[in-house]
Amino acid sequence: MKGLRCRECGRDFPAKALFVCEYCFGSLEVDYDYEAMHGKLTRAAIEKRPANIWRYRELLPIDGDPTVGFHTGMTPLFRAERLGKALGVKELYIKDDSVCHPTLSFKDRVVSVALSRAKELGFDTAACASTGNLGNSVASLSAKAGMKRVIFIPADLEMGKVVGSLIYAPNLVAVEGNYDEVNRLCAEIAGRYHWAFVNINIRPYYAEGSKTYGFEIAEQMGWTTPKHIVVPAASGSLLVKIWKGFKELHKLGLISKPESRLYAAQPDGCSPIVTAVNSGVDVIKPVKPKTIAKSLAIGNPADGYYATDAIRETQGGAASVTDAEIVDAMKLLAQTEGIFTETAGGVTVAAAKKLIEEKKIPRDESIVICITGQGLKTQEAVMDHIGKPIKIRPTLESFETEVASKTNL
Amino acid sequence: MPKRMVQLIFPQKLIKKPVIYTMAVKCKVVPNVRRAKVTETVGNMTLELEGTKENLEKGIKFLIRQGVKVEPVMGDVLES
Repeated sequence: MKGLRCRECGRDFPAKALFVCEYCFGSLEVDYDYEAMHGKLTRAAIEKRPANIWRYRELLPIDGDPTVGFHTGMTPLFRAERLGKALGVKELYIKDDSVCHPTLSFKDRVVSVALSRAKELGFDTAACASTGNLGNSVASLSAKAGMKRVIFIPADLEMGKVVGSLIYAPNLVAVEGNYDEVNRLCAEIAGRYHWAFVNINIRPYYAEGSKTYGFEIAEQMGWTTPKHIVVPAASGSLLVKIWKGFKELHKLGLISKPESRLYAAQPDGCSPIVTAVNSGVDVIKPVKPKTIAKSLAIGNPADGYYATDAIRETQGGAASVTDAEIVDAMKLLAQTEGIFTETAGGVTVAAAKKLIEEKKIPRDESIVICITGQGLKTQEAVMDHIGKPIKIRPTLESFETEVASKTNL
Repeated sequence: MPKRMVQLIFPQKLIKKPVIYTMAVKCKVVPNVRRAKVTETVGNMTLELEGTKENLEKGIKFLIRQGVKVEPVMGDVLES
């Protein structure tokens, strides 16, 4: 790692806990010494390493050894024949982070990197503001890292979502305020306290963890890249970093020039990136989220501009979908591929379906659908849409009347 | 004096109006523009505001009342 660089004006900064350029207030990202790595980081070297995100450690922002994430990453990437048939496409793959260790979402990648770097920078306390996956991941991984932990949540968050963080005994702070007030307060606290606020002052390092999702896609596809990738977009960072990851692998001679097209998937109720892409503007207009896809409910996406930029650079596209389409897609994925994803996964599958039907993604080229979270955490989203068990009395007659004669068994 | 980094998004109807200047004079806040982009339909400006705590609050409230969206420069930090 060379240091940090402003994404807007290109100024260089030391690799400290900084997140905006002090001149233009542009966001900072990690810069590496690719020349020094060239020829040394080989496919064979990577393949020999343990199956976790740190197999790509030269391309991750740490100076020493990692602290956490030794079982994170290298999630399944597999050919989805049955879903492919349902969507009418020839070559479909799923990259499945609904089984990412330890808290079942891709956030474990970014948080593992953020906390490993935070320890190196001397922080003893990890923090974040979250309504779900991020809070779970920070609470779990900071417990493993032996760090103190503070998680901010909106006070009206359902108890079911609190449990996934509370079990790790963080300081769980419930803020009585609306979405904007929680955002503003956390930004202020991050400025005042010497904590590793993973997606604020540690954000440049945190965001780099998403590259591992892209590295793995390329490695698992035999060091090639698919023609099309459909990515759920909240802050937009995952999409940006998958693309950055591909470009880095190419720069190091590990893959040929990536020609993938990237597509952003968002729910209709929170689609600032899709709106910008489809209306051809590059100013992201913040929105007030209203969707069942809570994990994509970021009204003012930090990486929105960079996501639209990557989509245009790759000649990709974007699609938004309704809540009903999200639920149908979750059911379709479960019933064809046996994967119970969270609503964000439903958004991605539904958006892929739409992009295929609109002929924006051709039916005869390779497609990867990114699944980033686990459905068991947000069961309420589908609870009323999946039917009920068939109740019978404990007799053969009851079984035959109620089940055998009424179903296609 | 306290400072605040903010991102302002102007709707089309406000692009031609001197909203920042009026806020500066009326609320005694010193604006320092760091980055800006204005298109036909929307204006986006990143700036630092400096003033007393009360004046900063007053200035931000004034901007919101005029129809400007005032957002933290780092975007939303509350994630799923």
